[in-house]
Amino acid sequence: MDASLQKVDHSALRVNQAVIIALLLVSFIANAAWLAALVAAVMTVGALTRQPGFRPLYTGLLKPRGWVKPDVLNDNPEPHVFAQGFGAVVLWAGVVALVTGPAALGWGLVWLVTGLAALNLFGGFCAGCAVYYWLNRLNVPGFVKTPPPGAFPGMRPRV
Amino acid sequence: MDTLVRFVIALALIGLGVLLYQAWSGWQLRRLRRTPARPGLEGWQAGRPGILYFTSPDCAPCRTVQRPALAQLRAELGEAVQIIEIDASARTGVADHWGVLSVPTTFVLDAGGAPRHVNHGVARAEKLRQQLQSARAGGSGDNGPRAREMALDL
Repeated sequence: MDASLQKVDHSALRVNQAVIIALLLVSFIANAAWLAALVAAVMTVGALTRQPGFRPLYTGLLKPRGWVKPDVLNDNPEPHVFAQGFGAVVLWAGVVALVTGPAALGWGLVWLVTGLAALNLFGGFCAGCAVYYWLNRLNVPGFVKTPPPGAFPGMRPRV
Repeated sequence: MDTLVRFVIALALIGLGVLLYQAWSGWQLRRLRRTPARPGLEGWQAGRPGILYFTSPDCAPCRTVQRPALAQLRAELGEAVQIIEIDASARTGVADHWGVLSVPTTFVLDAGGAPRHVNHGVARAEKLRQQLQSARAGGSGDNGPRAREMALDL
């Protein structure tokens, strides 16, 4: 096993993605840009604290009641932090577009974040993580982690 | 744009996502069926349908949901079904051949060992049972009268 890998609870990540998808869907249907802004804010705080933004929902409610079981894998947490931050930036851009006028662009960006979160939740592919590993291959400073052994960049590790 | 229209648009986009996923799964199965090599099926006994189950030692949903579901099928169907378990972390070449991106992943194989269904993520016993019935009838998801008839003796 790669010694630099850490234990990452993928259940916490999946709960985070599921809540993001659900809230963004509601924000679109209800035409509530403020809700998209709230999700962006939570994702920003999550990226800054290096935790899934909606992790308290998992640790405080779902996990203690046994509704969601932990799924701890050997993985790099940094790409997931980057992916959440990247998603937050795109979502903030969408919110700005919604507030300033081009609603189609704004909701398009909201749907982009929703779609990528769904791809991660249902397909196990983290696009933001793939971007992180791509930047690592380009030797961009700060992007020091490589994909876990045997894992395609961005794909959920199999171990 | 009123709420109803937005709701319909959201449903349409979700449906599009589901269709894309199904198209990708179908393409994956067709690709595997066209490939003569079937690594991982060394112990396969032709003549009975079965399940190729990819797991790993650290996979929590495999332990808590997928394995019990397979044990339930084994108890119900006995020798009518064969189940082959593969540690995707130890046999990465086999997992790559089958296009396994995460665990658990289950492939339902027909009596000739050709994949008919794939489940990415946990698959419940009931779903696997239906897929086995379909695979036994030689189908790939369409449970027609022939599938139902043949299912009786599965």
